[in-house]
This record gives sequence, structure tokens and C-alpha cells, in this order.
Amino acid sequence: MRGAVILCLLLSGAVLSHEMTPTYPKWEISGVDDVKKTTMRLWNSREDVRYYEIGIFSDDWKPIPFVTAYRIIPLEYLKEVKFDVYITENNIKRARYICSLSKLRSSSESQTLLATRICSKFK
Amino acid sequence: MKKLLIAISFILGATPVLAADIDGTVESRCTVATTVPGIYGNPNAYTLTTDPASAGQVPVIRFDTTLANAYYAQITYPTSFSSSPSLSDNVTWTGAVTLKAHGESGMSGYQAASTTTGAMRSYPLSVAGSAWFQSTSVAVYGGNRAFPGGAYKAVVLAECVAQ
Repeated sequence: MRGAVILCLLLSGAVLSHEMTPTYPKWEISGVDDVKKTTMRLWNSREDVRYYEIGIFSDDWKPIPFVTAYRIIPLEYLKEVKFDVYITENNIKRARYICSLSKLRSSSESQTLLATRICSKFK
Repeated sequence: MKKLLIAISFILGATPVLAADIDGTVESRCTVATTVPGIYGNPNAYTLTTDPASAGQVPVIRFDTTLANAYYAQITYPTSFSSSPSLSDNVTWTGAVTLKAHGESGMSGYQAASTTTGAMRSYPLSVAGSAWFQSTSVAVYGGNRAFPGGAYKAVVLAECVAQ
């Protein structure tokens, strides 16, 4: 019985997920003096989500300035995107986490919505 | 002729064996998935709850990791409405995050190993595989007054943070 419940959960949850890699990104040269970049990959299989917000944070979760093409990335269902993030060298030491946060849409039902956030770490 | 055969045998013996390597790496990754959406039931005029006994539904979230000790699962139950009709009184929030099911036997200790900070519970994902967590939520309107009619929404935040 327990196995059947787990199987049902597995099947029902197979298409509503959010994933970002790599887990431990590294800063690389960008071609611009004093600016480094890293490339991330984001995958959306949440049918209810079309946008993800990107953020970079310090060890104590303070936001760190950065530049990317879209801070809120449009991403269709079952699509992936690779995006570059740029940061100045004087902010690199403080940058610890890069996160993607799902942006939720409204509906008319009384419910608990699920916001998902995945954070990779600069080591 | 004999010398020629000896020379040929040396050449053949010296021919290097060609080997084709297959390289691969296993990258750590975390996937967060909704397996059961949360729904508020309304057992009385002043309470909203995800309790199934009150026609609610407890949200279930699945975390999949490919490597052990690479991520924390952090789940935060709601402490405010993200959208609701205008409310003139305070709302008292309670909730709990618990391990609902696990795909590997080594995950049975996740609940005991978890820590809480306010409404957030953090689980070190020390075993690769899938784990399911649930997050209950109860909102009681101040002074047991009736909630105004309308749709109420609150957000459960499920995070996978690299260790």
C-alpha cells in the first residue's frame, strides 16, 4: 500500500519541477576588464510557472549587484535556458549564492501556492 | 627468410594496443517538484486550514538530489497571505513541516536531523535520491471573527540550497 502511494506521488509529481545547475559554478573571464562571468542552466517543468527571478547573495543573504540579460527570465514549460551572469571583481568575494526563484501566477481558489528556489554556491 | 620472420614478429609485437576510454562525471543537482498542491478548507468562519479532515489538502513537495551532502532542503510554511480580501484584524498563523516519505532507507533520520528557524525547517540532504515533505498551514482570524468572503492564497517556499 505504501509503495503504491509513493508510486502515485512519483507519477503525479513528474512534471512540476524546477532545476538549476551547476551546483558549484565558477567565475570565468568575461572579456571585459574587472568583470567576471558565469553560465547557469535553468530547467522549467512547472506548468504553472513561466518566469524565474535570478539573484546573487552573500553568506548572510544580502543581495549582491550583478548584471544579466534578464533578471526575470521568461521560461516556457518543459524548456531550458542557459544564461550568463556578470559581476565586478570587487563583488566576487562577497558573492556566495546564485538563486532562481519561481514567480507565481494568481488563481481564484483558496490555496497554498508553492514558490521554489534553487541556490547554487560559489565555493 | 628466417631473419625477416623474426623482424616481422618484433614489429607486430611492438604494435601498441589502441584503447578507447569512456569518461563521465556525475554532477550534483537538485530538483524541487510539487507533487500535491495545497488547498485551504474552511471548517468554521474564522479558520482556514490544510487539514484534510476540514476539506483541506496538505501540499507535498519532492526533492530529488543526485549526490549526497550537496544540498539543504529548506521549507517555510506561510506566515501571511499573498493575496486575500481586505482584512481589518490580525491573523494567527501556525504550521509544521515534516518528512512524509523517502525513497532511501538512509533518509529515515531526516526529521530528527532537521533544524528550524522561525517558520523554516532545514534538512541536510545527506543521501542521494528522492524525499517528500509536507507543510501544513492554519490561519485563524483575530478574535474568532469571520473571514470576509473571497479567495485566500499563501505561499509555501521550498528551497534547495547548495551546501
